[in-house]
Amino acid sequence: MSARDRILGRIRAAAAPGDRQAAVAAWMAAPGGGPRPHQAMSHGPQRLTQFMQKLDAAAATVGRVSALAELPKALAHELRKRRLPARIRFGSDAIFAGLDWGTIGTSRGPGRIEEPATLSRAEFGLAETGTLVLASGPDNPVTLTFLGETHFVLLREADLCGGFEDFWTAWRERGLDPRTLNMVTGPSRSADVGQVLQLGAHGPVALHVFLLS
Amino acid sequence: MSLHEATTPAFRANARAALDNANLQAALRGSRGNFITKRAKGREDLPEFDALRDRARDIKDHVLAHLDLHLEAYEAQVIASGGHVHWAETAEEARAIVLDLCRKAGAKAVNKGKTMISEECGINDFLSANGIAPVETDLGEYIIQLRGEVPSHIIAPAVHVTVPEIEAAFRKAHAHLDPDRDLSDLAALQAEARGVLRAKYFQAEVGITGANMLIAETGHSVIVTNEGNGDLTQSLPRMHIVMASLEKIVPTLEDAATILRILGRSATGQEMSVYTTFSRGPRRPGDPDGPEEYHVVLLDNGRSNMLATPFQDMLRCIRCGACMNHCPVYQAVGGHAYGWVYPGPMGAVLTPSLIGVEQGGQLPNASSFCGRCEEVCPVRIPLPGMMRSWREREFEKRLTPAAMRRGLGLWAFAARRPRLYRIAARLGAGLLSRLGGKSGRIASLPFARGWTGERDLPAPQGGTFMDRWKAARR
Repeated sequence: MSARDRILGRIRAAAAPGDRQAAVAAWMAAPGGGPRPHQAMSHGPQRLTQFMQKLDAAAATVGRVSALAELPKALAHELRKRRLPARIRFGSDAIFAGLDWGTIGTSRGPGRIEEPATLSRAEFGLAETGTLVLASGPDNPVTLTFLGETHFVLLREADLCGGFEDFWTAWRERGLDPRTLNMVTGPSRSADVGQVLQLGAHGPVALHVFLLS
Repeated sequence: MSLHEATTPAFRANARAALDNANLQAALRGSRGNFITKRAKGREDLPEFDALRDRARDIKDHVLAHLDLHLEAYEAQVIASGGHVHWAETAEEARAIVLDLCRKAGAKAVNKGKTMISEECGINDFLSANGIAPVETDLGEYIIQLRGEVPSHIIAPAVHVTVPEIEAAFRKAHAHLDPDRDLSDLAALQAEARGVLRAKYFQAEVGITGANMLIAETGHSVIVTNEGNGDLTQSLPRMHIVMASLEKIVPTLEDAATILRILGRSATGQEMSVYTTFSRGPRRPGDPDGPEEYHVVLLDNGRSNMLATPFQDMLRCIRCGACMNHCPVYQAVGGHAYGWVYPGPMGAVLTPSLIGVEQGGQLPNASSFCGRCEEVCPVRIPLPGMMRSWREREFEKRLTPAAMRRGLGLWAFAARRPRLYRIAARLGAGLLSRLGGKSGRIASLPFARGWTGERDLPAPQGGTFMDRWKAARR
């Protein structure tokens, strides 16, 4: 008998009688059922306001972009403001492909050991907590999210969800199956030195979101 | 001595040494109250917090009642996504599985995200002994690895280390850097660790992480971090190994959301930790990054034996650390005094379950039964009640010290004979009252020097409880 069989055998021996298969099937058939917090139920303009407030609370910054063609200009402005070199690295997401990047030097591919600025597109956002949801893959390599000193993220306002409930529904509908689904809420941080919270632990020191209307 | 060898039987001596350790006391003073205030704020800002706790408890209870079925479903999903599941009954089996995988990957260095299960298995010592260098990447874990220590807290492993001690450890370990560099502020220390570890992320062949949850519906493993180290650990090497215990299962993505809503708030007061990552299988065809192999080591190590016992509820634990943050005993002696992987109230219950009451039986005595741990537990584990159960077992197994056993035996003898008890109580109260004299305080008392050494003992005033009860009823 294998370790697996012995472990499962012990669990079964301890189980209460009854139709346990049916209980599991019923549970899986009706996901959710927990209390839905008020802060997960925002709508319309209030949803956008709440999302921006939550980003701020998580020490991220945010700016709005009225059209996709405006993105390079907005990015150039942010890079200058932060005294970063006029360079950006992103993946093969179609949304970035046709843009005129002007004076910004671009490179494509996964994150490298020294990467001042990276750009990704988030699949979704959660107004509940100011969280971005990214899907790994060639379009938006996962290492760009963690190796950029400053991480820029583009989010379409139409992809903004109220909270976990409508997010999971939308996620299932989009039918993606990436190796990782990354929820990001602000830049990286640690309080391990002297119990004082400091930004920029191993991941980005700064996180900036471009909201595309 | 191996780092993970338990010193739990020496709890009393450990606690005494901890109280006399000035550095430790300074570090504990610095963190005390911090976690409590943050959790209180996190709870206050979410009116549905207590309702979510009830739901989380129900989710975990459902999982434990159907654990075999959910584990099978989870395993099938991992395999369908191209991953592998390895079952380990004991820490020893888990170590062998991990070593075998590391050898297959040709590993010389293994990076580690924060994982308490790997501490439970003593992975670091074992890999080192077999010629593979483990590198802790969580900043706190990195600090204590440099100092040759184990974590003293499940989410803040270096909470016992002061800033000057961190600087000293870095100067010693990072000898390749300029000896005259300025490390006087906290940001400089963090930046130095970031720089040193950034290079190591690209060198390791294997990355080991833990899992906060395993999702039966999808086969995802979930890690929750603030630093991003767990993600670099699992994304850059060619092999990702997840080490998780059986009870980490949750049924659905929605159930995971319920747990996430209470986990961060209970731990650090955060609505969401910075990085919550759901991983499923190896990198997909065409992916430019991510591991080529994905393995999950599922550890039992005594947990299946806790099912259908008075200690089953302990398996609801989501490892937030709130119980130790609110525990007066933990806050006085720190985590190392507990002598094994899990400190504080959750450790006092879990340790005897996992390594035996003979080894861990001292820990459930390290409680004033104030009940704060149960009050703040996000999954409502009745921790004081379970500690009481362990105390009873310890007594039944005759592991309690002889003097305590005799004392308890004497008290039990009297307590079952009301007349005798009342006479003894009246005599004792009268004697103590006379000793207290006019001040009503006793400065020194034989057999109670542990108390009177630090403070006076208040003398009983005005008759026994039963006398006053009778008088009041008249």
